[in-house]
Amino acid sequence: MAQVSLKQVSKRFGAVSAISDLSLDIRDREFFVLLGPTGAGKSTTLRCIAGLEQPEAGDVCIAEQRVNEWSAAQRDVALVFQQYSLYPNYTVRENLAFPLRSKLRKLTQQQIDERVAKAANTVRIAHLLERRTDRLSGGEMQRVSIGRAIVREPRVFLMDEPLSNLDAKLRELLRAELKGLQQRLGTTLVFVTHDQVEAMTMGDRVGLMNKGKLIQVGAPHEIYNRPKNSFVASFVGTPAINLFDARLDLAAGRASDGALSFDLDEATRHTLSSVALPADGKVRIGVRPEHVRLVGAGGIAGSLYGAENHGAEIVAILQSGDHMLRATIAADARVTLNQPLQFAFAQDKLHFFDPVTGDSLLH
Amino acid sequence: MADIEVIDAEKRFGTNHVIRKLNLRIKDGEFVVLLGPSGCGKTTTLRALAGLESIDSGEIRIKGRRVDHLPPQQRDTAFVFQLYSLYPHLTAYDNIAFPLRASGKPEAEVKKQVTQVARVLRIEHLLDKRPSALAGGDMQRVTIGRALVRRPEAMLMDEPIGALDAKLREEMRAELRRLHVENGSTTVYVTHDQVEAMSMGDKIGIMNDGVLQQYDSPVTVYNTPSNLFVAQFVGSPIMNVVDCQCQAGAGGIEVRLAGMVDPLVLSAAATAPLAQHAGDALALGIRPEAIHLALNAAPEHVQAKVHLIEPLGPYDIVDLAVGNATLRARTPSRFVRSQGDTVWIKLDDARTHFFDKRSGLRLQAGS
Repeated sequence: MAQVSLKQVSKRFGAVSAISDLSLDIRDREFFVLLGPTGAGKSTTLRCIAGLEQPEAGDVCIAEQRVNEWSAAQRDVALVFQQYSLYPNYTVRENLAFPLRSKLRKLTQQQIDERVAKAANTVRIAHLLERRTDRLSGGEMQRVSIGRAIVREPRVFLMDEPLSNLDAKLRELLRAELKGLQQRLGTTLVFVTHDQVEAMTMGDRVGLMNKGKLIQVGAPHEIYNRPKNSFVASFVGTPAINLFDARLDLAAGRASDGALSFDLDEATRHTLSSVALPADGKVRIGVRPEHVRLVGAGGIAGSLYGAENHGAEIVAILQSGDHMLRATIAADARVTLNQPLQFAFAQDKLHFFDPVTGDSLLH
Repeated sequence: MADIEVIDAEKRFGTNHVIRKLNLRIKDGEFVVLLGPSGCGKTTTLRALAGLESIDSGEIRIKGRRVDHLPPQQRDTAFVFQLYSLYPHLTAYDNIAFPLRASGKPEAEVKKQVTQVARVLRIEHLLDKRPSALAGGDMQRVTIGRALVRRPEAMLMDEPIGALDAKLREEMRAELRRLHVENGSTTVYVTHDQVEAMSMGDKIGIMNDGVLQQYDSPVTVYNTPSNLFVAQFVGSPIMNVVDCQCQAGAGGIEVRLAGMVDPLVLSAAATAPLAQHAGDALALGIRPEAIHLALNAAPEHVQAKVHLIEPLGPYDIVDLAVGNATLRARTPSRFVRSQGDTVWIKLDDARTHFFDKRSGLRLQAGS
């Protein structure tokens, strides 16, 4: 059993607050992703769990034990970094065996051999065991790094952007591999990334951080479909969510900002009537590109500013007055640049945010 | 306006053969993207067009005129690097105006052109700021503005938006494409990002190991890749490529993935390319969105087991075990409920490809 919890943890570097008052419960056997932009504090959080940084305040607990005073080795966690940090002059086998040779472990050579063989099979590097690590490709090196973490059979895996140095194709393959691996091993894994695709596809739950604070924790579909604020909404999803300011007139049942103006349907009006809207009716509306569709008539008037072929679909860029909105349309749709068109929103998928605080008015 | 022609160009750095027998025809006004992994020769090709690199043999022609022996300034091309190469002590306005003033344009004309470029790039409000006061994306727009204001015959861009964050890249992609449409100058754009290539280019030239692999429109490259490298470099999630066995059966050519008992149900047209290839080492390629997935048994479908579900928001990628092979299918979000479920799949005949594993080439009917 290895839950990881942080209770009101704060960490400063000089005058800079890296994380402030952060509380987080990571469940046993969970694949937990810390997601956020550069400087969000996610790596610092990971390093506090690892014991590589000491928080000024708060508790770090592993398996319900406070470990603040424990050394990194005592915590029995295994780290994998973006840089491979392997011993270049040694073979893969020696690299894997190294963490097991510690006198503290008291393992026999046979036990070490068995564990190395098992880990090598798990990450599919058994055929590379006798090769020197400086002769490996990037993907192979990262597999060895992960293998070296596995061989220790730690309570928790901590990974900091382990896939970021790899090319797109390899990243995609390793993503699925790593997720499958974690499920087979059943070991708690905390994974740091700035890549929302990695977070969405791998995490059982995702914690989105910004400026040292945890903004939202939830399953990927919750984060995607029920973002707590406009930061979360725009950080997750590609192409990015469309955001625009508008004034709501519930009595008239209309949302408008200049040329971009549309009638709110019955259900949306009903939903909005029960939330506390800003007094002036000003809101920020969010709508994902897959929830904007082209319609024959009766929609919002605009024109086609651009069309991006994404292979499986086309991302149409619609101009309406000063607004630019993206819509995902079928790959075989025929559209011409500058053509006038009309579009509408799937209104049950609209998000409404406070334009000042960015907080969701619905969730 | 200019058309560009590269004829049998070769380039070596020592023993490193970076461009091999490259032939490329870029039409006047076209937006061509050179795409490939690092070290594939795309940047060297671009630098050779600009005159920053010489070629060992072959020819480069711009507007029909041979230029490979000419210095960069006589080729009338503008080059935009990824780096923000702006003069730090000058305002955005003066940075953009610099090439115009250097060529002795009257100040009224300078103002007219700078204002116009700034309007298109939406940086009018930033013109009196210095580079140090600008955000990364704004700085890059000023850099592009400075290249653009010269109205060069050809724009050459080397990963101009590679250093920006994802959201800004998305915006800049659209702006650069739009700019090209309005401006019309022949553009050669280098990137390793297949999304940029697909979404911006009139044509994509995919390079690997110094060799041009395919040179075609994004739609053609995506739907009919010439070989395995192209098939898996373009498109995300990547195309499935799995080993397959083919043999003549009662109803035509039967295709099985490793460990399959019953063959896949494919039309005669889909298996036609296999006619001359019995016994060859072959791979089947299919894009995740070309796999139809059903939750219940259906005619022509084969059984598969759900290994993993990767939610991406608008849709899911589902890893399926089919025989001993793994295929990844794209489904609507939360269409498949849980791992371990049994589902039924059918490959779209028109989008099922076969490749010769040795040459990597895609098989075509009659070949």
